[in-house]
Amino acid sequence: MKGDTVPDQHHIARLCNPKHIDNGFIQATAFMLRVSEESLSVNWLEFLNCLSRKREIAELRNIYSKKFTKVGGRAQIAVLNVGEIREKVLTESPDRRNLKVLHDPEVNDPSHSGIYNLKQDDELIAEMILETVRETYPAR
Amino acid sequence: MPEVSTAYGDKFIDYQSTGRQPYPGVWNPPEIQNYWESYVRGRKCVTFLSTPAVNPESQEVYKGGWPDKKDPFTQTDLLDNEEEQVQELILWIRTSLFIPYRENLANRLVTLLNDAKEEDSASLGIAAGSLRNFYNFLQLNTNLKCPTISLTPEYNIYASWREDQKKLFSVLFLPNGDTRFVIFKPNDLHPERQVRISGTSTTDILMATVAPYGVCDWISE
Repeated sequence: MKGDTVPDQHHIARLCNPKHIDNGFIQATAFMLRVSEESLSVNWLEFLNCLSRKREIAELRNIYSKKFTKVGGRAQIAVLNVGEIREKVLTESPDRRNLKVLHDPEVNDPSHSGIYNLKQDDELIAEMILETVRETYPAR
Repeated sequence: MPEVSTAYGDKFIDYQSTGRQPYPGVWNPPEIQNYWESYVRGRKCVTFLSTPAVNPESQEVYKGGWPDKKDPFTQTDLLDNEEEQVQELILWIRTSLFIPYRENLANRLVTLLNDAKEEDSASLGIAAGSLRNFYNFLQLNTNLKCPTISLTPEYNIYASWREDQKKLFSVLFLPNGDTRFVIFKPNDLHPERQVRISGTSTTDILMATVAPYGVCDWISE
């Protein structure tokens, strides 16, 4: 349901477009907000109710191909643990930022969620989130 | 001719020394027109120069090789001019002898421009002011290792230098000549912990600003 907190033990995925990737490595820019954005878009993996990570990623690819006009050939999916991001940023960021990960379903994307309490000039926190990326997969 | 500015990204840089200008001294309008026509033919790129200040009545000042645009202030024209400036800057990077990795850097920027355009064809691709600011930084600091480069959601240049997975220096080059930077480095007294610093600076004093943190030691050749 919209506004539900994604549990700390759960995982989220972020679609990282090619302009955020250099030589195959995702960069911190993938975790920066656009000026008009309130939260960083992610997908709640456990909400997809798949039996394995492989199936979750396949389902995400399916969602992205329907949702976006084009997913770049070098785009990647970054998988992160909710509790790990929140703990790292809370305990190690200079302003002890308390990030929230909330369910924010969309019509064509029911697992859509957002990382809230980010700001537009949060390069330091984007770099910290990048450090918590656990796994990466091709986005198509 | 506009003056060269190596410190700020909000000024147009011509990059040509006065020695290469064909008409020293005061220019009259025909000389300016002749110069620009030869300049434009030689460069195959046209840079945005017509502003309300120099052309208040929206008249075409130049003929011939000058771009055929009476109103440069539509969104499409702005994007066109922005992209032309980006392409010209990439060309300058490719031919700048003070950048040892100029070819790789220029290729990387072309890839980023294409990636951004592929994602959204109506986008800036790369913000010209940001790229100009980055180029100014490289001009001022010619001994740096080649950074990792990506684009922010606003199409600004974001450059990172990493070492040993524990040292990081990242710089966001803003179009107005400012930078925002991030430094991660080991805590000398507590090696298991990291020092994390962020700040802002103009491009011209960025390296002096971060010098106390020893950044030069790991990002310089």
